[in-house]
Amino acid sequence: MSTQVHANLTEEQVTEISDQLGEPEWLLETRLEALDALGDLDMPEVIRTPGRDWTNLDALDYESFVDPLEFAQEKDRVDAEGVDVLAWTEALEAHGDLIEEQFGAVVDPQRDYLTALSTALFSAGTVVYVPEGVVADEVTIRTRMNSRALFNYTLVVAEDNASVTILERQSTGDDVAGERYYSGVVEATAGENASVQYGTLQDLSEETYNYQVKRGHAGRYGTVNWIEGNLGSRLTKTAVETRLVGESSESKIVGAFFGHGDQHFDLASRVWHENEHTTADLVTRGVLDDSARSVYEGVQNVGREAWDTNSYQRENTLMLSDDSEADASPKLIINNHDTEASHSATVGQVDKEDLFYMTSRSVPPQQATNMLVEGFFVPVLEEIEVEEFREDLEGRVAERLRQ
Amino acid sequence: MSSEDLQDTNTEKRFEFKKEEKSAFEAEKGLTEETIRVISEDKDEPEWMLERRLRALEQFKEMPMPDDWPAAPDLSEVDVDQIVPYIRPDIETRGGVDDWNDLPEEIQDTFDKLGIPEAEKNALSGVGAQYESEIVYQNMQERWEEKGVIFCDMDKAVQEHPEIVREYFMTKAVPPSDNKFAALHGAIWSGGSFVYVPEDTTVDMPVQAYFRMNSDGMGQFEHTLIVAEEGSEVHYIEGCSAPKYSEFNLHSGGVEVFVKEGAHVQYSTVQNWSKNTYNLNTKRAIAEADATMEWVSGSMGSKATMLYPSTVLKGPGATDNHITIAFAGEGQDIDTGAKVYHNAPDTKSTIESKSISKDGGRTNYRGLVHMADGATDSSTSVECDALMFDNDSTSDTMPYMEIQEQNVDVAHEATVGKIGDEDVFYLQSRGLDDDDAKQMIVAGFIEPITEELPIEYAVELNRLIELEMEGSLG
Repeated sequence: MSTQVHANLTEEQVTEISDQLGEPEWLLETRLEALDALGDLDMPEVIRTPGRDWTNLDALDYESFVDPLEFAQEKDRVDAEGVDVLAWTEALEAHGDLIEEQFGAVVDPQRDYLTALSTALFSAGTVVYVPEGVVADEVTIRTRMNSRALFNYTLVVAEDNASVTILERQSTGDDVAGERYYSGVVEATAGENASVQYGTLQDLSEETYNYQVKRGHAGRYGTVNWIEGNLGSRLTKTAVETRLVGESSESKIVGAFFGHGDQHFDLASRVWHENEHTTADLVTRGVLDDSARSVYEGVQNVGREAWDTNSYQRENTLMLSDDSEADASPKLIINNHDTEASHSATVGQVDKEDLFYMTSRSVPPQQATNMLVEGFFVPVLEEIEVEEFREDLEGRVAERLRQ
Repeated sequence: MSSEDLQDTNTEKRFEFKKEEKSAFEAEKGLTEETIRVISEDKDEPEWMLERRLRALEQFKEMPMPDDWPAAPDLSEVDVDQIVPYIRPDIETRGGVDDWNDLPEEIQDTFDKLGIPEAEKNALSGVGAQYESEIVYQNMQERWEEKGVIFCDMDKAVQEHPEIVREYFMTKAVPPSDNKFAALHGAIWSGGSFVYVPEDTTVDMPVQAYFRMNSDGMGQFEHTLIVAEEGSEVHYIEGCSAPKYSEFNLHSGGVEVFVKEGAHVQYSTVQNWSKNTYNLNTKRAIAEADATMEWVSGSMGSKATMLYPSTVLKGPGATDNHITIAFAGEGQDIDTGAKVYHNAPDTKSTIESKSISKDGGRTNYRGLVHMADGATDSSTSVECDALMFDNDSTSDTMPYMEIQEQNVDVAHEATVGKIGDEDVFYLQSRGLDDDDAKQMIVAGFIEPITEELPIEYAVELNRLIELEMEGSLG
């Protein structure tokens, strides 16, 4: 447990943040409770085998880069017809009751130390409200971080029969040099027969420590889909999770990551099947170069009442360098026998025969490798239905390969 | 074998000796230095072994219980402070059961249904039985002795082959510092087997060993040490293929296998401990260049099992294969898997794990594949399949893969499914009843395991599974 941040955090600071956003009393209370809980909470769980912590979050010096009242960002929000895409201040005015009902209902504000820290200190963020029956186009949110620390909180509510696709791009401005801390919480609720697709392209500066938790609840016949693209940051610890609460609900978690330099990605994809006829599909592909490291945990948890479950998971990692390290733990936890479930994980390098084939056709080796790496991401890119997002990710991968 | 013969054995003398010491033990709670000294003196051990025991005891005291693992079996009932004082009363109980009919009905019944031949049934019912298995081994030993093969119990090996034992015993493969129960084992181990196969020697028949549980009060901490020298070959079968009558609730064995350059060792176990046993074993092999290690195991019994046979692929070209099956019925938590460390180039491993859970049982595959930096051109493939019978049961898969080398090929696959209604229907429509149909499907499911076992063990494994399934289906 760490209390490093706690030392320089005060109730006054939290109250000041709350005042600036014009928050109601209940939200301030929630923040203060989260602040108060910091002393008792542990760091988020990380994969641990006896004798080894795979991601050491305790070692981070949060105190040095978390200054509660020092936050700056640029934010673009592009909304779609029929959807409210609002900053917190506006959202609290327009949908106060809804937010009170939904806030913290999906992500427990005191889930762990870093989540509680986010709850206490968030100053940036967006509320996306899709009223009943509205089928919306794409909503895009661009966040550019311009301070040493930024706490971002996104709440998505799609009512019954509503549908929305949200794309979020996270990047860093030039205003601040040195180490930074980005924290993002996303909670999404899809009502009956509603659909939420939430894509994130994380392209933060490579001196940024990044903690994110994204979690969705899918109602009856509802769908919550996640796309998680990780390119930036020095260290990323992220969890993308869906609870399939309603019967016949579905979730797809698609991940892509590309690490180079000494980047460290600790990625988790988790699904809980809690009702009948639920389906989940988890696909992650990653590439590691230089001395980059990835830790992947995938959990498919089939509950006792989850009759007729289908659950699939695939994780493939491509290693381009001998100094890189890839660790994976795809877990299956099955409590109902009426289940078809599978998971698989592979780690390998660029196929020698493919490379030989291409070089023998006079493609230079480096170009051939780049093409094969780009090709490796194709099955994941194909899962991304939104063209803009797909092209964005594809472009960043190509750029990185040619750096 | 008559009871008179029994009285003549050394065992009985030791038994008497222990009885005398009993009160001293009762006064002590937990595992003490005194306990260890008595065990060691009892066995007339050399000083170095006593020292190793005492060092292990220190480590045992310092180490935490493995209860902070994700979803680990519940070990709260395992009170290590109570374990050792139980040794002595247990000897008395065991000594008292020299008649087949004194065994608990459940175990007798199992033997009957297993169709274990009368001779073997006697063999497992008392000390005489042990003698029976010694005869078998004596017969074979002559053949092996000529070639320099050594096969004896571990206590004897300490006396007669100290130079080999001293080099390998809990020094390289399973040091007591490995985990709390390895340390416990290092402190109070007793019995087990010692196998030494000289260079270029092939032992063409499987070496089978039944533990001397009945003649030795600490048999549940048995140690097995196998040293296969360069170019040799041996297949060792662990004879805990039947439930053992025991008041102990803890089994904590240690297995160490050394597979030298080009050697080939297969280690097979069919474990069917009584359902009050906590089975917390440490098994590890070290494979040198071009060596092959094969683990074949069936885990049927016990209340809770935590066992992850490991192989360190130390030399280039070394190979490791794991084939395991776990069956968890009511109240059982079988947490088992495999660990492979690829520490050299061109090493290969395959893990094939099958599990069946029913009536609220829990199976878990917990595995680790480690590809060290420099293990170029190595490959591994892990396959886990779980079959579930009902909604009260649980089946988990928790593999870990640590990959520090790019030039490798790693694949893990796991599937979980229920027993296919269509398959059952198909077989029923061909005239099989529901039970038979399901048993046939299970037999087919585990066939990759059974075909690796010698025929009598395969038959036994199938029978054990039939027993587990009997009456609870349809």
